[in-house]
Amino acid sequence: MEGSVRGSIVARIGRSLTAAIVLGASLVAGVAIAIVAGPAQIANAVVTGGMWALMSVGLALVFGVMNIPHFAHGESFMIGAYVSYFVFTPVHEYLKDNPNKFLSTVAPFAGILAAALVGFVLGAVIEKLIFYPLRRRTRAQWVMNAFLLTVGISFIFTNGATLVLGPNFRGIPRYWDVEPLQFLGMRIAVDRVVTFAIAVITLAAFWFFLRRTRTGRAIRAVSQDEVGAQMVGINLNFVHTLTFSLATSMAAMSGACLLFMFQAYPTVGLKPLYFSWYVVMLVGLGNVAGAMVGGFIVALLQMATQQFVGIAWEDVVPTIMMILVLLLAPSGIFGSEVKGVQEQ
Amino acid sequence: MLEVRGLNAGYDFLQVLWDVSLHVSEGEFVALLGPNGAGKTTTLRTIAGLIPPMSGEVFFRGEAIGHLPAYRISRMGISYISESLNLFTNMSVQENLLLGAYAVQDKRKELESLDFVFGLFPRLAERRHQLAGTLSGGERKMLAIARGMMSNPRLLLVDEPSLGLAPNLVQNVFAALQELRQRGVTILLVEQNVNATLEITDRGYVLEQGRIVLEGQSSDLRENEHVRSAYLGL
Repeated sequence: MEGSVRGSIVARIGRSLTAAIVLGASLVAGVAIAIVAGPAQIANAVVTGGMWALMSVGLALVFGVMNIPHFAHGESFMIGAYVSYFVFTPVHEYLKDNPNKFLSTVAPFAGILAAALVGFVLGAVIEKLIFYPLRRRTRAQWVMNAFLLTVGISFIFTNGATLVLGPNFRGIPRYWDVEPLQFLGMRIAVDRVVTFAIAVITLAAFWFFLRRTRTGRAIRAVSQDEVGAQMVGINLNFVHTLTFSLATSMAAMSGACLLFMFQAYPTVGLKPLYFSWYVVMLVGLGNVAGAMVGGFIVALLQMATQQFVGIAWEDVVPTIMMILVLLLAPSGIFGSEVKGVQEQ
Repeated sequence: MLEVRGLNAGYDFLQVLWDVSLHVSEGEFVALLGPNGAGKTTTLRTIAGLIPPMSGEVFFRGEAIGHLPAYRISRMGISYISESLNLFTNMSVQENLLLGAYAVQDKRKELESLDFVFGLFPRLAERRHQLAGTLSGGERKMLAIARGMMSNPRLLLVDEPSLGLAPNLVQNVFAALQELRQRGVTILLVEQNVNATLEITDRGYVLEQGRIVLEGQSSDLRENEHVRSAYLGL
């Protein structure tokens, strides 16, 4: 007993030490970027960070609650981008001929909201059509089967989009045609400010939902003990579908928010998928709280690479970092709240 | 209240229960005894809906519940307190208890139940903000029982509450069960601690190799030759 207690304390300090090192390094990277490239680059990192956080929270949740290593998460991002594009562009065209201040302020929100809604419905459909039947058939080899299914889904969506919409880029230069904001001597596009605000508000609301509401508590209960959850009367099917819907919705939302940076094309989801996996690996699989912080850390790392190593290395350096994380702290820098795969 | 008729159940290709029949009447405190591997836990898990029966039927207050999913059975008023407890270890004591009342929509009733279980286990009230995973073994058992009580169940299925507990804590847990019984809760108790169990229960069943081999009043079972030699070591 004594030994195990001491062991866990040492483990905890060891873990927080890694966390401290990574957080400290990110801080140094942030300051360095600010000095060399100016604060505008920091603003960039923060905006992307918020979106990575939004993506990774969904990824962490889907793994924690349903034990699905979700590799079609990028396609939710892609669909969100397309939905927002197809909702926003016609309105935008119409506004060119009939200027209307109110409408041009609201139109982007309509696009983003539509993306979130479509994501929510799509998530429910995918869960009911694909994962629910698999769960009913067998739980054996679940993680592997689920992984293969998500890869298949990704394949179908990417190629489906190419087939129907073509491989062209569809994009917008910006959501809001207004002067950039002046802030601490730098100019920041309104799009970035609003995007960041959306990320923060959504994450905060989601955090509140998980911690303080009955349904949110049920989602956490399922991630901690599936049998226990059933014993207290929680309907697993409901929680699984809701979780998948929320995750898909958040990914679609980040795709919509970043439309002005990424554009919409069939394989646009690949990079967000990789980066959100990096986040989830960095903070520990299934760790939702960690994913919120991790999104910003990874975005900073990305930006630091662009600044100091060169833009071509943007994918290489984070990958090397992930290899190091897997070697040195395989359960992530914050450890994981979820008991994980071996439980199944 | 609960009636199990000709139940056959098990895991995949391994049948554990063979034609098990038993019943528990309203307000009764019934024991299910037997050696390791006899199928006691399987019986409870099947009643709770965590394992589907192969054949046979389970009736609760006249309704067939054999093929309902576990969460529906739990919402009908059957609380199962498992051997491994299945607590939510990364949540506080209070959150665990509130989840116990998940199916209770009425906020006022939920708070009443919370007061009730804190009255029953004052220790849990002291530790309400502590994570369930950091509790001691005895406190975890209490938390599991308390969580099972939060939904105001009509029937409590309790699996080996004394397992792994120090003797004085076992007495605490048994006292808590007796207290619940006095408050009108019907209990089906699985236990290895045969002597103590037969002292506090009304009736008992003995399960061996998946079959009910004996049943009777607890006082009669204590005098039974087979029970005395096999379980009481007399």
